[in-house]
Amino acid sequence: MTPVSGSLAAARELLREFPVVDGHNDLPWALREQVRYDLGARDIATHQGAHLHTDLPRLREGGVGAQYWSVYVRSDLPDAVPATLEQIDCVRQLIARYGSELRPALTAADMEAGRREGRIASLMGAEGGHSIANSLGTLRQLYELGVRYLTLTHNDNVAWADSATDEPGVGGLSEFGREVVREMNRLGMLVDLSHVAATTMRHALDTSVAPVIFSHSSSRAVCDHPRNIPDDVLERLPVNGGMAMVTFVPKFVLQAAVDWTAAADDNMRAHGLHHLATTPEAMKVHRAFEETNPRPVATVATVADHLDHMREVAGIDHLGIGGDYDGTAFTPEGLDDVSGYPNLVAELLDRRWSRTDLAKLTWGNAVRVLGAAEDVAQEVQARRGPSNATLEQLDG
Amino acid sequence: MADLQDELHITAEVGELDPPVSPPTPLPELPELPDLDEHALVAEPCLAPLSDQDAAPLDRAHTILAAHPVADGYSGLPWALRHLPWYDLELGESTIDTDVPRMRRGHVGALFWALHLPEGLAVDRAVGATLEQLDLVKTVARSHPEGLRLAGDAGQVTDARNCGRVAVVLGPAAAAALDDSLGILRVLHSLGLRVLTLSGTSWASEAGLTRFGEEVVREMNRLGVLADLSGASDATIHRAVRISKAPVLCTRSAARALRPHPANLPDATLAELGAAGGLCLVPLTAEQTGPTVRDVADHLDHVRAVAGPECVGLSGTYDSGSAHPQELGDASCYPNLIAELLRRGWTEPDIALLTWGNVQRVLRTADFTAKAAQQRREPSTARIAELDG
Repeated sequence: MTPVSGSLAAARELLREFPVVDGHNDLPWALREQVRYDLGARDIATHQGAHLHTDLPRLREGGVGAQYWSVYVRSDLPDAVPATLEQIDCVRQLIARYGSELRPALTAADMEAGRREGRIASLMGAEGGHSIANSLGTLRQLYELGVRYLTLTHNDNVAWADSATDEPGVGGLSEFGREVVREMNRLGMLVDLSHVAATTMRHALDTSVAPVIFSHSSSRAVCDHPRNIPDDVLERLPVNGGMAMVTFVPKFVLQAAVDWTAAADDNMRAHGLHHLATTPEAMKVHRAFEETNPRPVATVATVADHLDHMREVAGIDHLGIGGDYDGTAFTPEGLDDVSGYPNLVAELLDRRWSRTDLAKLTWGNAVRVLGAAEDVAQEVQARRGPSNATLEQLDG
Repeated sequence: MADLQDELHITAEVGELDPPVSPPTPLPELPELPDLDEHALVAEPCLAPLSDQDAAPLDRAHTILAAHPVADGYSGLPWALRHLPWYDLELGESTIDTDVPRMRRGHVGALFWALHLPEGLAVDRAVGATLEQLDLVKTVARSHPEGLRLAGDAGQVTDARNCGRVAVVLGPAAAAALDDSLGILRVLHSLGLRVLTLSGTSWASEAGLTRFGEEVVREMNRLGVLADLSGASDATIHRAVRISKAPVLCTRSAARALRPHPANLPDATLAELGAAGGLCLVPLTAEQTGPTVRDVADHLDHVRAVAGPECVGLSGTYDSGSAHPQELGDASCYPNLIAELLRRGWTEPDIALLTWGNVQRVLRTADFTAKAAQQRREPSTARIAELDG
C-alpha cells in the first residue's frame, strides 16, 4: 500500500517541525569496514547511495533531526575497547568535518538546540556490554567521551548479561550486570535493551530507576523473533517511562522473512558452510537458494503494523524509531535508506495517527527520555559515588 | 548624583568624531637599558630577591618555594591508590608517600600522575587499563576538591595554583595505550592525557621511530600531548627531539655521566635536549641519582651545566616503588633539596626555573604549537599497516 501523495506532503511538513530522532545507525562501522575511516573516500556531503544507506542529503530528505550514531564493534574481538574508541573518534571526525550539518549533542537540551539550528544533533550509543570490558571505570570514560546509551549485549552473551541470540548464561542480569545498570543510572547513560534476552529486559526494568530504551527493536507479538520485544515487557514501559524504537530490519519484522532467513541459513549449513559466510562459494550457494526461493519483501506497512501494536500495548508516549541503517543488508520497500522516514509517517497519517502522536513518535519521546535520564543522574549522584565494583567481587 | 568627572567632555554630534581630549603628553625620557644577558631574559621577572640572603638555607628554600612551587613530573599514585581499599588524601595517608598535607609542606604546586601499567597489563589490555587509570585519577581529583584540581593546559595549571590547589596533570601514559592507533591517541587526549612515553612499541623501539612513530609525534604536536623520552632508546630520543615541534620531556632521567642507569642521559643527549628547548626532569630515586640529597644536587648541577638552566626540572617519582634518597623520603621534602642547591650558590631565578618555570614554559609552548598545527593540519588518518607495512 503506497501512501497517497497528500499524506506524504503532510508527513514532510510534520517532519520539518518534529524531525526524526533515530536510535541506531551503523555508519561508523560501515566507514571502518569499507574505507578504514578515510572520510574523504566516502564524502557523505554527496550522495553515497552506491555504498551506504546514509549520507547528509538523504538524512535531510528523510527529515532526520537527531541521530544516535552507533559506535558498535564486533563482540568476537579479543578486546573491544580499542576499536570502540576508534569508532568514537570516527563520529567526532564526522561531526568536526560536517559541522554545518551535524551538531555534537550530549543532552536533551543539545537535541533541542540542534532542532532550532537546523543541524542534526549527533549522539553516540555503544552496542554491546563487551565495549566496557567488565569495567565500570571504562564505562565512565565512555560516558565522558559522549556515549549516551549502552546496549547491554550484542548477539553474544557477556559475562554479566544474556543476549537474545545466545544460549541462556546468567539467566538475565548477574549481580554485576545490575551494578552496571545502577552505574549507568548514576551517569545518565541510557540502558538499551535491544539485542538482550527477555530475561535481561525484565531484570533491567527491575533494576533501573531511569527510563530504558530499545534503540532498534520491534514487536514479538507481531513477528516472533528473539530480537523483538515481548508484550509483557512493552507493558512495563509506561511505568518505567522509557521507549521502544521500532526497527525496520526485514528479517526481524516480517514473519516470512524470518522463516526465509532460517531456511537460507539451514541451506548454507547443509552445504557445510557457516550461515554468515560471504566467500565466493558461499555466495554462489546463497544465490542458487535465492533463485528458487525469492526473498520476501517487507514494506512500510509491515513496520506500521508493528507500531500499531506497540502503541496499543505500550502507549504513544513510549514509541520511537531506530532504523538500523548501514547495520543491515536488506531494508523494507519504501524505507530503503535514511530518506525513507516520510513514507512511514505518511503511512501512519493514513492510519489516522494524529499530528500530536506523530510528533511524539518522531521527536518528543526520545528527547523526553534522555532528559529524564539526566534528571535521575543528578538525583542519584547526590546519594551515590562512582562504583568500583568488579565482576569478580559481585559474581564470584 | 555629583559629577565625578574632573572635566566635562563635550561629545560630538551624531556622525561626527569626538574632538581630541588633549594633546598627548610626551613620555618622560627613559634611561637607556643596560645590556641584558640571555639568561636574565629567560628568567621570570624577579626584580628583588625573595629571600633574605643571610637567612638559613632551609628558611630561604621555603620562601622561594612559596613563590615558585614544585611542578613534579612523575607520580606513581594512580597505581598505588588502585591497591588501597580506602584512602583520604586530604586527611593524610601514611601508607603512601604523597598526600595533600605533605604536598603543601613540600610546596608542590603541580603533579604529573603517571598512567604507566605493570608489564603484564601493558601488553594485554593496555587501552582499557589506561582508561581505568584515567578514571581513577579523575575520580580522586574530584573527590578531593579542596586539595586537588585537574588541569589540562598551562593556564589551568596556573589557575589551580592560584586557587591553592595542586594541579593534577594526566600522564605520562605508556605508548602501548594507543594500540597503534592515532584515533585512540585523539580520544585519550580528549579524556585529558597530556604526556605519552615513547617506548616499548613496534613504532618506538630500540631501532628508533618508524614512519608511523614519526606520525604519532606529529599528531601529538597537533593535539598538545607532550612526548616523554625517559626510557626511550637513543635513536628514538634523537629522532623525536629533531621532529617534534613542541619541546620534549624526559620525565625520569638523570645524568649518566654521574650514574650509569639506562634511563639516565649521556651528556651528548643532554646537550641536544637543551639545544632543542626540551626538559630533563631529574628523579629523586636512590637508584638513578644516588642515596643522598647531595647526590641529587650533583645531578641537578650537572644537567644544568650541560643542558642549561631552562632545561632542568624535578621528578619526585614518589609512590612508584623506588627507594628515595635520605631526607627526600616523601612529597614534603623538597625544601631540603632546594636548601642544598642554595648552599651550592644556585640563584633564585635558576631555582624558580627548576621548580616551576621550565615546566610552565614547556606546557605553554605545547599549547601554542598545538593551536598553530591545528590551523595547518587535519587529524591524521595514517595507519601503522600503511606506513610501517
